[in-house]
Amino acid sequence: MNQPEPSRSFLSRHQFLIYRLFSLSGLIPVGAFLVVHLLTNASVLGGPESFQSRVDMIHSLGPLLVPIEIAFIFLPMLFHAAVGFAIIAGGLPNVGSYPYVGNVRYTLQRATGMIAFAFIIGHLIQLHWLGAPLRGSEGGFDPHHATSTAAIAIRPLLVSILYAIGVLSTVFHFSNGLWTLGITWGLWTSPAAMRRANWVSIAVGVVLAAAGLGAIGGLRTVDVAKARGVEDRMDEVKRMLKGEMPIEEGRSPAVRGTSNSSLPNAGPVSSEGT
Amino acid sequence: MIQAVETNHDAGDVATAAGHGAGATSRTIHVRVLRQDAPGQESYWERHAIPYEPNMNVISILQRIAATARAEDGRSVAPVAWDCNCLEEVCGSCTMLVNGRTRMACTALVDRLLEDNSEEIELRPMSKFPVVRDLVVDRRRVFRGLERVEAWVPVDGSYDHGPGPRISPEDQEDAYPLSTCMSCGCCLEACPQYTKIEVVQREGESAEAFDARRKAAFDRGFVGAHAISQAMLFNAHPTGRMIADERLAALTGEGGIQMCGNAQNCVAVCPKHIPLTRSIARAGRAATVWAIKKLFDR
Amino acid sequence: MAQPRVLVIGGGLAGLAATMRLAESGTDVDLVSLVPVKRSHSACAQGGINSVNALTRQQGDNEWKHFDDTVYGGDFLQHQPPVKEMADWGPRIIDLMDRLGVPFNRTPEGFRDQRRFGGTLYKRTAFAGATTGQQLLYALDEQVRRYEVSGRVKKWEFWDFLEPVLDASGRCRGAVCQDLVTMQFRAFPADAVVLATGGCGLVYGRSTMSMVCTGSAVSRAYQAGAWYGNGEFIQVHPTAIPGADKLRLMSESARGEGGRVWVPRKPQDPRDPREIPEAERCYFLEERYPKYGNLVPRDIATREIFDICTTDGLSVEKDRLCVYLDLTHLSREMLDRKLGGILEIYEKFQGVDPRVVPMKIFPAVHYSMGGLWVDYQKSSSGGLEEGDPKNQQTSIPGLYAIGECDYQYHGANRLGANSLLSCIFSGLFCAPSVIASGAAVRKTSAEESSRLFDASLRRQEARHESLLARRGGNENPYDLHQQLGGLMTRVATVVRRNEQLAAAYDEVCGLEERWQRCSLSDTGNWTNQNVVFTKSLGDMFPIAKLILKGALLRDECRGAHYKPSTAMPGIAATDPVEQRREAEEWCDRFEANTRKWLKSTIAKHGADGHPQISYEDIDTSLIPPRPRLYGLVGGDVIEEVWRERQRAAGQAGETSPQPVAAGA
Repeated sequence: MNQPEPSRSFLSRHQFLIYRLFSLSGLIPVGAFLVVHLLTNASVLGGPESFQSRVDMIHSLGPLLVPIEIAFIFLPMLFHAAVGFAIIAGGLPNVGSYPYVGNVRYTLQRATGMIAFAFIIGHLIQLHWLGAPLRGSEGGFDPHHATSTAAIAIRPLLVSILYAIGVLSTVFHFSNGLWTLGITWGLWTSPAAMRRANWVSIAVGVVLAAAGLGAIGGLRTVDVAKARGVEDRMDEVKRMLKGEMPIEEGRSPAVRGTSNSSLPNAGPVSSEGT
Repeated sequence: MIQAVETNHDAGDVATAAGHGAGATSRTIHVRVLRQDAPGQESYWERHAIPYEPNMNVISILQRIAATARAEDGRSVAPVAWDCNCLEEVCGSCTMLVNGRTRMACTALVDRLLEDNSEEIELRPMSKFPVVRDLVVDRRRVFRGLERVEAWVPVDGSYDHGPGPRISPEDQEDAYPLSTCMSCGCCLEACPQYTKIEVVQREGESAEAFDARRKAAFDRGFVGAHAISQAMLFNAHPTGRMIADERLAALTGEGGIQMCGNAQNCVAVCPKHIPLTRSIARAGRAATVWAIKKLFDR
Repeated sequence: MAQPRVLVIGGGLAGLAATMRLAESGTDVDLVSLVPVKRSHSACAQGGINSVNALTRQQGDNEWKHFDDTVYGGDFLQHQPPVKEMADWGPRIIDLMDRLGVPFNRTPEGFRDQRRFGGTLYKRTAFAGATTGQQLLYALDEQVRRYEVSGRVKKWEFWDFLEPVLDASGRCRGAVCQDLVTMQFRAFPADAVVLATGGCGLVYGRSTMSMVCTGSAVSRAYQAGAWYGNGEFIQVHPTAIPGADKLRLMSESARGEGGRVWVPRKPQDPRDPREIPEAERCYFLEERYPKYGNLVPRDIATREIFDICTTDGLSVEKDRLCVYLDLTHLSREMLDRKLGGILEIYEKFQGVDPRVVPMKIFPAVHYSMGGLWVDYQKSSSGGLEEGDPKNQQTSIPGLYAIGECDYQYHGANRLGANSLLSCIFSGLFCAPSVIASGAAVRKTSAEESSRLFDASLRRQEARHESLLARRGGNENPYDLHQQLGGLMTRVATVVRRNEQLAAAYDEVCGLEERWQRCSLSDTGNWTNQNVVFTKSLGDMFPIAKLILKGALLRDECRGAHYKPSTAMPGIAATDPVEQRREAEEWCDRFEANTRKWLKSTIAKHGADGHPQISYEDIDTSLIPPRPRLYGLVGGDVIEEVWRERQRAAGQAGETSPQPVAAGA
């Protein structure tokens, strides 16, 4: 009373807002990006051209892609991670004493959050342009050769296993987070509603896990040489359509050679922005 | 804090008590107690051996320990200090960690404990509150939580103003379980997000200054499931909700509802089976609506 | 000290109600309690709280009938004006608690629901589940917390009241208390001191009371000169769950829903109770009271259960007295719906499902009707003069007593669901009296005050130090307490006999002497529960002695006090003329007994440590005493004679005797 209360920091004064933004950022945009990413990856199961065409769609954003990536993916993800680590540091997991389902999930949410973070860093270093300075000129993901470069990158068994762990952790973190988000924001309040919501989040998790593991399986089984061929031909077409290459009669096997390609209808494509 | 102790459970019965058996049973219960002589001192384990009797609870074990004041190795020791009062799980005093888990000592039946582990019963003080001595902890922060969320009906006064508001049976049935919260602190002890705050009086610090500093420290920490639930209880009451905004302001302040990590241990360990997670989710919803409203009303 | 300041000791219903009212009136309050006030014993009350209500009023009920039921149930041992005032306040108190947010059970239309309790024909009892006391306590705790936040109230939880501090004129000017954590002493100067410290169940070892109910605070006031009234009247509840640490209440509603009490005909039959055939079971209540069966009133049920175990030796167990309370013939669905709460308590503590296996129960000490003698100022309308400093004031000016620790409201026997009312009523009602009393105090100079308190502090410190310093004593305080409890339960509960009481008195004196040789196993000065308990044990002896002596001297049967040698049996004759003659004799004897014994027992602490017993006439000006004829053979003839006498004496109308089922 007679002691002046120490003025509270910005962070503590806005703790509620920060935690709510943290919660929201897990769903939008980070979670939404995850869903798009995993479903895009899963398209590899439809063949290299399917995957390639989706990658091309993303890259059609052209010069906008980098700022969009930074503003809507990397910064929110960094924010989510930073607050997440602060939350983890402030908690005292006690699943040993209280091995209840909810508590196990609480603990897993934190563990998978940290695994996902490590995985994403590794993933970026290995494949993303952000990681290029770290990994050197070799490797990485070439958006014009989506399937083949990705397949080469994750083909070693150890890498595949790490990816599987990373993907499953991320999916658990997201779908479990979806459920807790609903409690945090008060979407489901009664135990019965929480149970129903839990089934939904489990379904989301199963679908995303299937998509993520499917993509890994697909990349491991795809014929890299063949895929490369497909990608080369698709790349040619794209460049031809953009006028970078003359269209020559008989030089368009890419179109005729792919039985189920939707490429001709894929709209404008761009090779810029990588 | 007053500890009455019966050394023998026949006490109080009439003449036939004389006939009770010397050769009843020679089973021994081994009890391990984590003791601490005073705040700031090292804690240490002490073992006790208690003759088994049927229908004992942890309270009666502690009563036997107090009466004999002897450790298993025969040393004279000071009796173990512990909190209790009603012994029927309605006052909230005797919370402690029995075999590692928070619960009321009065309903911790020895026969059940021995079914799980016949070797030993382990007693520890709650870990989220400063130890006063042995199994006695300082739970002032629990009550401070109730102050933070203004857990009361803001009536004009105690003079006659006729009956209270009419309330439907459904609303009463919704409120009643929340109102049985006895501030025992089990939900807080089991909560991985609720961490210990121990403030030590400084040299030369007045009692008032220390009290104010301690309250300020409490107010920065997580308010806890019990207080969130009480806030929801009073926000649902026709008169109580007249200061609903003040409670929501408290719940969205530092250490408020946002600290909940949804581990849901609170509801699992609550001796009164209070739907704490429902209260928390409702508080989350109310806070969402309130925060948005505030954003647009200002 | 321009600002008025009052010290309230005890934070149960009464203490909190008083604190709330005092704070609301602008008085600063220091609230001292052994435990955080939310953990007080009031939380254990289950059934409900009585008052006339809109519904019963339309069925012919009124405050007067509630008042009448209360004094009739109490066998007329109360001064009537305070009881009348309490009954008059009932509706307002329920309304207040309702406004404070107590979740009373509701009717479909949203009004408060009520149930019927013993000793009345009306559904007067408002209730909140099976934890009404807890809910009322919390509502008051919350209001007091409000005043604590605003700075009007300062709580001193985990503090022990040691003695009232009296000035040269004998007026209470405050108290000395001890911090149970740091063991520090502190003087609390106050304009007035209010004791709200509850009952003294621990004098009986184990009871249905909480562990703080040692009676030590009341004993300390008594030893400082406050009078103690009606000490020998202790309510024993028929059905409690025996436990190694405590006797837990098993509500009467178990029998109300069809529960049957029985024992095996073969003493200590070792068979599983479910395998004992009907023919080998003794349903003794149903056999002896065919009309009322298991629902005889509390005192009778208690006496019968006690008798079958002690006199007939038919206790279910040998080492532990108990009888079966059997619900197993009732449907599980019904039990869960109507009795779920109390069955859960049994299941939790006994580890046995009472829906499957008969419960083992035994009577247990439950409530002290007696307590500190308190005064009152009668008003012209027969109630109390509100705000008069005499109301609730003990024989020590400036020292007040409220709640279970006063003797004023329940006479020889308390009606169920009246205790919560008396606690809240006396708490609210005493506030203006306390303030008026404080205002009359000549302000003490700081010097005088410190001299006054220093002496008390030094005395208490010396007592404390000498206890800690005791060496080589061979007495264990816990053993002594057990012996005291065993002795008191044996001789001063259900059935009382003079030779036993006299012998027990000497035994208690012996125990008290042995207490002087108690050695402590903890001689430290930090949270020393050992020394705190030993002190409170020492203060149990004066209470035990006044209970025993009061019981010894009171040669009659009244309410909870039952002496077989003075019992008035019913009418044995079958011939109408002879019956009539016996009834006349019975009424003569009743009138003589009323003249001799319808008096409050007043115990004063003698300089020699023995209680000095005297008797005080009772104000029965509102409702003339009449016989309680419940279950008595020939009761109808006696009633007829009694009515004739009343008519002859010119009394009629509302106060005519009506034999009411005298359930407590």
